[in-house]
Amino acid sequence: MTEEPYRWLEAIANRREYVGEQLKSGSPVLAASLPDGIILLGVGSGQSKVFELFDRHALAGLGHPADIEKIRQAAIDAAHVEAFTRAPEDVSLRRLVGFGLSPQLKTHFEQIFSAPSLVELLLAELGSEPAQDLFFRLHYDGAFQTQTGGAILAASQPDPEAVAQKWLKENFQGKTNRSEVAELLLQAWWCLAENKFLADPIPAEAQRKAGWREATKGKVIEIGWLARQSPRAAKYQPLTIADLGL
Amino acid sequence: MSHSTPIAGDFLSLLQEHKLASARVDAALGAVVQTQATTVFAFHFAGGVLMAGDRRATAGNIIVTDRVEKIIEIDSTSLLAVAGVPATAFEMARVLQTSFEYYRRSQLQALSLPARVRALARLLRDNLPMTMQGIGIVVPLFAGVDQTVSPARPQIYFYDPLGAQFQAVGYAASGSGSGTIRSILSFQEQYGQPRPSQMDLPEAVRFASRLLSTASEFDSATGGVNPATDTFATIKVLKADGVATVTEEQQKEILRA
Repeated sequence: MTEEPYRWLEAIANRREYVGEQLKSGSPVLAASLPDGIILLGVGSGQSKVFELFDRHALAGLGHPADIEKIRQAAIDAAHVEAFTRAPEDVSLRRLVGFGLSPQLKTHFEQIFSAPSLVELLLAELGSEPAQDLFFRLHYDGAFQTQTGGAILAASQPDPEAVAQKWLKENFQGKTNRSEVAELLLQAWWCLAENKFLADPIPAEAQRKAGWREATKGKVIEIGWLARQSPRAAKYQPLTIADLGL
Repeated sequence: MSHSTPIAGDFLSLLQEHKLASARVDAALGAVVQTQATTVFAFHFAGGVLMAGDRRATAGNIIVTDRVEKIIEIDSTSLLAVAGVPATAFEMARVLQTSFEYYRRSQLQALSLPARVRALARLLRDNLPMTMQGIGIVVPLFAGVDQTVSPARPQIYFYDPLGAQFQAVGYAASGSGSGTIRSILSFQEQYGQPRPSQMDLPEAVRFASRLLSTASEFDSATGGVNPATDTFATIKVLKADGVATVTEEQQKEILRA
């Protein structure tokens, strides 16, 4: 089959379709850079979605738990070997993703006789100041985009994600309070999960607030916080909604 | 896509897989002047475990520096006090720091206290050739939080150079000045008022500083505590909820009061 180029292209297209279909019901994950740190947020039904990777690094993802776990483990392995052989300060998201995770995901995606990784990921690196905070949006096929500061999200479908990203960027502007930002991320999560971003108009704030509260009943809201001023080397702290007063 | 480590969450086996494990030394080739000699100790006080050490490093009769940190925070629930050859001791601390954090992050749970205690014993055993040659001896103290009891409680452990581990009931000390310290701690534990385990933090810090000053009177390799010259100990406190450092400023305040 692979001797014929068009068949290979067809196989790749089929894989994209398959991955898209498998990820369709995935719950989005979101993150934002604030003056005091970076917040990462996900809503799950038991499986974890937000993880600590290294001292200043965290990951949030949606997809198949086993695939998220493989990538999480690969990132943790690489980060700790790097930190031990060089120094913790040398662990960078740019290298982890650019030279580690992305090529591996791409290779994996293009090996058409094995199952593809069913993941969409968001990785965060805490800088010494907000302007140095870095986000990587990493896709199942190894493609990635970077963003410095601001708010960002990862969803299962590209079109709603693009609309949601635009909405989040506009609404995040000027917000520095952690609880207020977490509330905004939860509203964006609800609109995405309920497919409200493609509706016209997007539901009003009161509706969004009530919406996420109703939709998260019986689910687990996972929040990771990379605290910029923490005196400890490991900056990651898991938080709860109650910690944020929501 | 990830290789899996032979033992899940074991950082040393991950290093071996990457062929990054440190080379072992098996034969003595000649005498080497070592920087060593120290006084470190730990005792239970009312607020948890206090671990302290002087800051002097020596090589024979040469004072190499008076600014060494011998009490090392391994992670948020464990402390290591190093006595012996710094090159080996600091490397052990680095291995433990990375191993404990690697396990916690990869396995999504903290390593148990017995496993932490044995991890250090394993490093000491791996260091046996250097110990036998007398050029890489390390005799550390370890303090960690026992999460299996309620409420969680900090515990102190001491080791012999070959890796045997012992739990200390009230206190432990190591290094060239430890004989003096052990005598005073034993006396205070039996006849003192208050006993170390009854002391509050300021009392414990004052007591620890005086212990080091006394040890330095009898052991030239132990740096003392002298507020007049801004010479202080390294003092860290391990409580059930984590590690805190008693800074030089705080020590100065306490000793002045």
